[in-house]
Amino acid sequence: MLNILVVDDSLIIRKNIKKYVTNLGHSLCGEAKNGAQAIESCRELKPDLITMDITMPDMDGITAVQKIREFDKDVNIIMVTSHGQEEMVVSSLKSGAQGYLLKPINEEKLAQAIGNIYSQYVYDEDDELLDDDLLDD
Amino acid sequence: MQKIPLEHEILLALAKRSISFLREDLEIKVESENIDIMSPTKVKLKKNTAMLGTGGSIQVLITMGYDDELLDKVVEAFLEGEEIDEQEREEIQESVSCEVVNTIVGNALKNPLDGTTLGITPPIVISEAKSLFKQKSSQIATATIITEYGEMLLTAVGPKEKFSNTLDFKEL
Repeated sequence: MLNILVVDDSLIIRKNIKKYVTNLGHSLCGEAKNGAQAIESCRELKPDLITMDITMPDMDGITAVQKIREFDKDVNIIMVTSHGQEEMVVSSLKSGAQGYLLKPINEEKLAQAIGNIYSQYVYDEDDELLDDDLLDD
Repeated sequence: MQKIPLEHEILLALAKRSISFLREDLEIKVESENIDIMSPTKVKLKKNTAMLGTGGSIQVLITMGYDDELLDKVVEAFLEGEEIDEQEREEIQESVSCEVVNTIVGNALKNPLDGTTLGITPPIVISEAKSLFKQKSSQIATATIITEYGEMLLTAVGPKEKFSNTLDFKEL
C-alpha cells in the first residue's frame, strides 16, 4: 500500500483521484491545491507517491517537482495534465517525474501509471514495499 | 483549394475534441457531426461558462459554455455516481466546467502552423451571462455543439493581427 499525496487545483480532480486511490487499495496522506502547498505537504507528510497537476495558479507542477527534488530524491511523482504533446512529456520527465498521466483521468489509467512505476519494486507477504537492492544482498 | 482562417481552424480542433469527449468520455449523445464555425460581431455567452487563455505563439481566449441541463449531466458523469451535498454543488459545477475546458483545450490544441504546444492558463468561471463584442482589432469565432441535453457553445477570441493578418491563412 502506498501513501499518496494528490496535488491539483481542481476540486473535481482531487475528489476523483482520492476515490481512485482508495479503490486501488492505497492510502491518501494529503492533498494540495498548488505547487507551494505541494512542497510543504511533501516535506511534512513524506508520501511514497505524488500525483502532480501541471497547470496550477501560483506555482505550476513542473516548478514544484524541481523544488521537491532539491530535498527529496526518492518520492515518486506522476505528472497529470491535459497536454499530450511530446515536448510537455519530456519537460515533465526532465523536471524529475517518473510518470505521466494524460487527462481525462480514470481509475484504470491511474492504476496503470502507478503500476508502470512500481513494477520495478517487490512486495513482501504483508504487501510492504521492499527495496530491489535489498534482494540482491 | 479551400482557405480557412486560423481562428476557425483552432475552433474546429476544439469542437472535434469536444464532440469526442462528450460521446466517448461522458457518454452524452451529440446530435450532429456537422460543425459550423461562425464569425459574429457579438456573442451572448451562456450562464455556465468557463474561460481560459492560450500562451506561446498564438494568444487566444477560449470560452466553453453549457445549457443548464447539459452541465448537470456533465457533472453527473464526472461524479461517477457519487452523491454530493447541495452546499458543494455549485463549487463542483464550477470545478467541472473548468476541468472540461482545460482538458479539451490541452488535448486538442497545438499551433496549426508549426505544431508547437500552446501553453494554457488556469481556467476561470464566468458566473453571470455576458456578451462579447467584436472590436476593430479583434476576431471572434463561435461553434455550437448540440447534444441530447442542450447546447455547448465554444468561442475563440483573439487579436485580429494574430489571426488573419500576421499569420494569414493556412491552405488545406
